Amino acid sequence: MNSRTFYAILTVLIIVAFGVVIINSFVLNPTSRNVRNDVIQGFLLGFGLSFVTAQIYARIKTSKVNGWTTMFGCGEPSNGFLFRAACAQVFLGPINISKESMYWTRDADGTGYLLSGKHDYVMHFPAGQLPPNNAFWSLTMGDAHNHFVTNPIKRYCVSDRSGLVPNPDGSVDIYIQNATPTGHESNWLPVPSGNFKLWLRVYMPGQTILNGEYQVPPVVKVS
Amino acid sequence: MILEDLLIFGSVMIVAWFLFTYNWPRMLLYVYKRAILVKGFGEGPVPINTLYTIPQKLFADPIAWQSGPGSNSVTAGMNRDTLITIGWLDLKKGPQALHVPDMNGRYYSVQFTNPSNNTVFAYVGKRTTGTEVGEYLITGPHWKGQVPSDMKQVSSPKNSVLVIGRVLVENDSDLPTSHHLTEQIRLTPLHQKGSL
Repeated sequence: MNSRTFYAILTVLIIVAFGVVIINSFVLNPTSRNVRNDVIQGFLLGFGLSFVTAQIYARIKTSKVNGWTTMFGCGEPSNGFLFRAACAQVFLGPINISKESMYWTRDADGTGYLLSGKHDYVMHFPAGQLPPNNAFWSLTMGDAHNHFVTNPIKRYCVSDRSGLVPNPDGSVDIYIQNATPTGHESNWLPVPSGNFKLWLRVYMPGQTILNGEYQVPPVVKVS
Repeated sequence: MILEDLLIFGSVMIVAWFLFTYNWPRMLLYVYKRAILVKGFGEGPVPINTLYTIPQKLFADPIAWQSGPGSNSVTAGMNRDTLITIGWLDLKKGPQALHVPDMNGRYYSVQFTNPSNNTVFAYVGKRTTGTEVGEYLITGPHWKGQVPSDMKQVSSPKNSVLVIGRVLVENDSDLPTSHHLTEQIRLTPLHQKGSL
């Protein structure tokens, strides 16, 4: 039985059950009590449960690596209705499929605290470990409400095109902080003084990303 | 009667749960439909079956962009990588022809989303079709006709389609080139094709 027939049968069963109850309560055995309260409460709770189940399903489907969260497999026409609802709650928009692009996001430092411009952070990509891709990658910063924040060098993201300077050993450090990192301006991602979020995008991600082998490096607080 | 209360309450709850869960993606994309066809992106509503390209000056100045109307719904999260062209199709009156220019190796993609469940049924772009110039015919589910020999067919499962094009911007000095290319991603109705 494919999913389409399953949903069709489920829908019919629910409608029939619903109809039987309604006809019974309103036509066959009309009572004096107020049926409307049951209907309204059921409707509201159904809405709440729908939100909660999609959230729980999203949690189950979310992949978490080094504090970064993402979801594989959204946007595929073969996805079931629960997964589609979960994707719609995690990515508020018409998302690409994983093969076209991957998005990771985080708003916490990995030790349970929110990312904040009060601290300095470093993201360290070991040599040869920049996100594998056939198009581009970028690391973008926004405030707690996903808005860009103005900064003196008008830089809102670092990427494969932003002129990152590798260390002598080939690794790349990205300095995520509010104040200018002296001597590392080219690798500076300016953040606001308050809380912020990070987005890592990889378009046409490489095979090691799609099979889960590639691990996005952590964002480490510098004490 | 407690049982009857429970039955009504329970069945309404289950129906509501199912309907909301099933239609969550549709409700989400309805917001986009309104944003495109009713509100627009600062320059009035975007007519159906046309693509609207984000102006250069808005991409160049993202702080101004995000204070403009409709800005947040265009991209999930913040985007400094690609110019976006967006539109809503109605294929009831016939197929739409999509023209893409020669991107010369540049990353681009045109994503065709089914707005009833927020899944992508087709792509035109570097990953799937390459970066050469191309003509594609986007057809609705009930269309029966001959696809012109110089066009490739993209069949949509629904008459409504959300189209999002993304074209890579290499850097600030590349913005005009990228914008020029993005604007050349165009839609025309099939029957007008020859006369244009």
